[in-house]
Amino acid sequence: MTASALVRGTAFFGCWLLLTHFGTGADLAADLLVGLASAAAATWVSLRLLPSAPGRVRYGALGRLLWRFLWQSIVAGIDVARRAFAPRLSLQPGYLVFPVRIPPGPGRALFGAFTSLVPGTLPVGSGPTAGGRAALVYHCLDLRQPVAAGLARDQALMIEAYGEDETDD
Amino acid sequence: MTEFLLGAALFVLGTVALGLIRILRGPDDADRMLAAQLLGTGGVAVLLLLGVASGLGAVGDLALMLALLAAFASVAFVTGVARPDPPKPVRDPNALPRGDRS
Amino acid sequence: MSLALSLFTIVCVSLGAVFFLAGTLGLLRFPDTLTRLHALTKADNLGLGLVVLGLLPQVDWPLGALKLIAVWLLALLAGATVGQVLGSAVRPPPVSGAGESTP
Repeated sequence: MTASALVRGTAFFGCWLLLTHFGTGADLAADLLVGLASAAAATWVSLRLLPSAPGRVRYGALGRLLWRFLWQSIVAGIDVARRAFAPRLSLQPGYLVFPVRIPPGPGRALFGAFTSLVPGTLPVGSGPTAGGRAALVYHCLDLRQPVAAGLARDQALMIEAYGEDETDD
Repeated sequence: MTEFLLGAALFVLGTVALGLIRILRGPDDADRMLAAQLLGTGGVAVLLLLGVASGLGAVGDLALMLALLAAFASVAFVTGVARPDPPKPVRDPNALPRGDRS
Repeated sequence: MSLALSLFTIVCVSLGAVFFLAGTLGLLRFPDTLTRLHALTKADNLGLGLVVLGLLPQVDWPLGALKLIAVWLLALLAGATVGQVLGSAVRPPPVSGAGESTP
């Protein structure tokens, strides 16, 4: 808890320094005081809204996740642009129910944000599958694309990076 | 370089203005909100381009604020759609159709 | 060197502008709200990313560049969140068993 508070506080203070062009003001000590107070307040709010999760992060897998995210968001943009510029629209929109293994909470929210930028998928809600398992409902731009396989890969990478739940390790 | 950046800013501004046709056409409020979201992202790009072209650092701060406010606008719109009825109707609740502003 | 950097800026910013045009075209041409949302979030995020990338050599290091990247990250986060949130708001009543799949 204290470790994550320290990390978040440092990050917020860094943001503050960046935004205020620190060093250009007249009274450096007063500026610094305001910055430290703002960073402390931001840390308090962030810990209340999003408590630090147990478990540890595997940085190798996280790096691969970020790389895949970057690459996939480029592919997604090109894919959509190609369809938008095409003289005839080639779309086959529809819904896909994807069984999700990430527990509800910040992890699943992150997965939703991540998958909203990969090609052809947009999470639009959650609900059980026919078999009663937890699932996310996706709207797909083109059901002919292998979207379920891509989502499964994203999920596997994310579980590798963050751990499935706190009993994982 | 300044001329190029100004031209690019003008071009992006043009695409955003074109996208605003969606506000006129609708048909749903959500479609109109999409155009507002386009105005947010496109506006950020225009401001960044103008900021670098003019050399005014403060324009970058404006871009940051616009990115923040555009996101808040959409979230506020959605919370309004999800909970269309106010908790305590003060006036006659039948005076307005619920959750429909058009 | 300066010529190469200028060329880099011109290429990246122009490409970014093309993606903004694509986002607008998608917004106007795609058939329903959710497909328009796809077009908007994906094309515009890439467009803004390319514009930021192109502007990086034109600002002072490291403060100006870091700030540009901060704007981009914020816009990316906002775009991803707004896409999900708007998507869940316009989603029609739950589809039961439609497109059921197992990975």
